[in-house]
Amino acid sequence: MTDDAVPELDPVIHAQARLRVVSSLSTLREGDSIAFPRLQDILRMTPGNLSVHLRKLEDAGYVEVTKTHQGRTPATLVSLTRRGRLAFEDYTTAVRALLNGGAGSQEQS
Amino acid sequence: MNEDDQPLDPAESLRLIERERSATARRIIPDPRLLLWPWGIAWLIGFTVYFLRFGPDGHVTVDMPAWLPLVVLLVLIFIAGTITGFVGGRAARQVSGPTSRQGKMYGWTWGLAFSGMITVLSRISELLPTAQATLLWTGTLTALTGALHMAGGAIWNDRTMFRLGAWLSVVNVAGVILGPGWHALVVAVAGGGGMLVAGLVSWLRLPHVADGERARR
Repeated sequence: MTDDAVPELDPVIHAQARLRVVSSLSTLREGDSIAFPRLQDILRMTPGNLSVHLRKLEDAGYVEVTKTHQGRTPATLVSLTRRGRLAFEDYTTAVRALLNGGAGSQEQS
Repeated sequence: MNEDDQPLDPAESLRLIERERSATARRIIPDPRLLLWPWGIAWLIGFTVYFLRFGPDGHVTVDMPAWLPLVVLLVLIFIAGTITGFVGGRAARQVSGPTSRQGKMYGWTWGLAFSGMITVLSRISELLPTAQATLLWTGTLTALTGALHMAGGAIWNDRTMFRLGAWLSVVNVAGVILGPGWHALVVAVAGGGGMLVAGLVSWLRLPHVADGERARR
């Protein structure tokens, strides 16, 4: 296997915490968003920690964070953008390729 | 750079993706058992009580006040409706967007359709003998429930829901042809039973439940 056949892994997603965030958001249907506290609860992250990673994902255009009101209470909604969904799909494809293609060569090295 | 930022090896990444996706699905997809079993139990018990009091040819299997079956059925339906409303409302508070909008519209469809049915039937049923009035109520209730489940199946591309609706519609026609008394028994066993089965099948088909079963094998 030559070096250029090894797929590049998206560094924005390829970090444990952000991969968890993106995987979780990928279960939502396109156009749906989840409330911030709910996401935090599912991922078992502190609000500060989650905010930091959401900011990085937002900067990459993968995630959209919307501040809105549900009745009178302010709510922060998080969703995966189309670009984020594509990036996640590319990432999963790349990881699978690495795993299948790399199984033999890893043993040799 | 803290631990959260550490890259993972590919196998670990895939495991993490699967774990997080199924953990999220478990939390945001309402449990179909909670949506269907309360109704299945309500129909099973409620219509069985009807059959025991208003059997075929006016046969009374269990002697009880004539108003009791209706009260039992209404109480059970109220409990089932409260559970469904609670489960649906909880799902809507977590996720906003097209999914929750669809859910709300579908909820309103049930509410308005049944209000319409109740308004029409209550104007007519008092003119009929008890046996025919009961058949009119239970037959129309089952027909509407069947149609709404079929429509729900079409909306969400959910075969189990569609099949339940079709089953209720067919069973209802069979029961109405058999006549007053028998209809209540048919709807209790086949209708209520159908809901219990549909709830179990839908639950087993949830991605996280199916994956869990595969993992255990």
